[in-house]
Amino acid sequence: MKNVLQWNPPEGLQEAEVTYTVQYFIYGQKKWLNKSECRNIKRTYCDLSAETSDYEHQYYAKVKAVWGTNCSKWAETGRFYPFLETRIGPPEVVLTTDVKSISIVLTAPEKWRRNPEDSPVFIQQIYSNLKYNVTVYNTKSNRTWSQCVTNHTLVLTWLEPNTLYCVHVESFVPGPSRRAQPSEKQCVRTLKDQASEFKVK
Amino acid sequence: GLRRCLISMDMHHIEQSFQGIKRAVQAKDTFQNVTILSKSETLQSIKPLDVCCVTKNLLTFYMDRVFKDHQEPNPQILRKISSIANSFLYMQKTLQQCQEQRRCHCRQEAINVTTVIHDNYDQLEVRSAAVKSLGELDVFLAWIDKNHQETSA
Repeated sequence: MKNVLQWNPPEGLQEAEVTYTVQYFIYGQKKWLNKSECRNIKRTYCDLSAETSDYEHQYYAKVKAVWGTNCSKWAETGRFYPFLETRIGPPEVVLTTDVKSISIVLTAPEKWRRNPEDSPVFIQQIYSNLKYNVTVYNTKSNRTWSQCVTNHTLVLTWLEPNTLYCVHVESFVPGPSRRAQPSEKQCVRTLKDQASEFKVK
Repeated sequence: GLRRCLISMDMHHIEQSFQGIKRAVQAKDTFQNVTILSKSETLQSIKPLDVCCVTKNLLTFYMDRVFKDHQEPNPQILRKISSIANSFLYMQKTLQQCQEQRRCHCRQEAINVTTVIHDNYDQLEVRSAAVKSLGELDVFLAWIDKNHQETSA
């Protein structure tokens, strides 16, 4: 999981050249560990994904500021539990239309990979109770409805022909609430109903 | 075979109660180098067959030791802890029925896990041990969530 420590610069030091140093701690272990890539840095974030990749452990992180010959106290996080606190990204969404239906195929988001060559781990391998909240908007009737599904395919039926529908999907895991991150809204038009068009002529 | 004994309960309410006290309780836990429900050695290694017994033993651990040993001055936190304790009481009754139907067998592996947790608890001064165990409720709740679903096998 992608875990990035972020902080705000100290107040009143806009003119000074401030650098930061980060350390992290694995709950239950013995000592604080250095993050070498985040020693004396100027930016106000540090990627600790590699150090916190075991999502079933819990962690602390801390950062201190240095400017001139001065040095701040350590500012420490609370206990961070990736398994419960990671924000789960949206699935990949593929829509296929018919006259009165739309087929939706969902692909679960992947776990963050330390190395691009690592084989992918899909989120539902970690969260077996992963679910999806599918929201559908009928642009003609202005009606919106949502469905909660667990499998990866869904067919929306009894739709209106030749109508633009917009869909977005959120992944979620029952348990402590996490901020959801919906997928990009996708809009597709159902096909025209050829049969009714022949009758009209 | 015998149907597995599962706690069919809305865990969301309990998790919300814990989320309300997590920061405050964990901040009181100053022994970061020690854990009670340590991860890999105990909870994550439990097999489906032992889930019921371990759940029962850990509910007893919290009800009979942690909640009793913990002295909480803050009334809001105390209210949340009481809410969690009431939910645990309900779970205990569910598992009690399973035991009466012989669906909550305790193998040595399950007993060993419980022993490790009690030993971890005993190594700390009792108030510190209770605060630490309270702060690790999210580990226990996540474990229950994961192991007491229909699909978890």
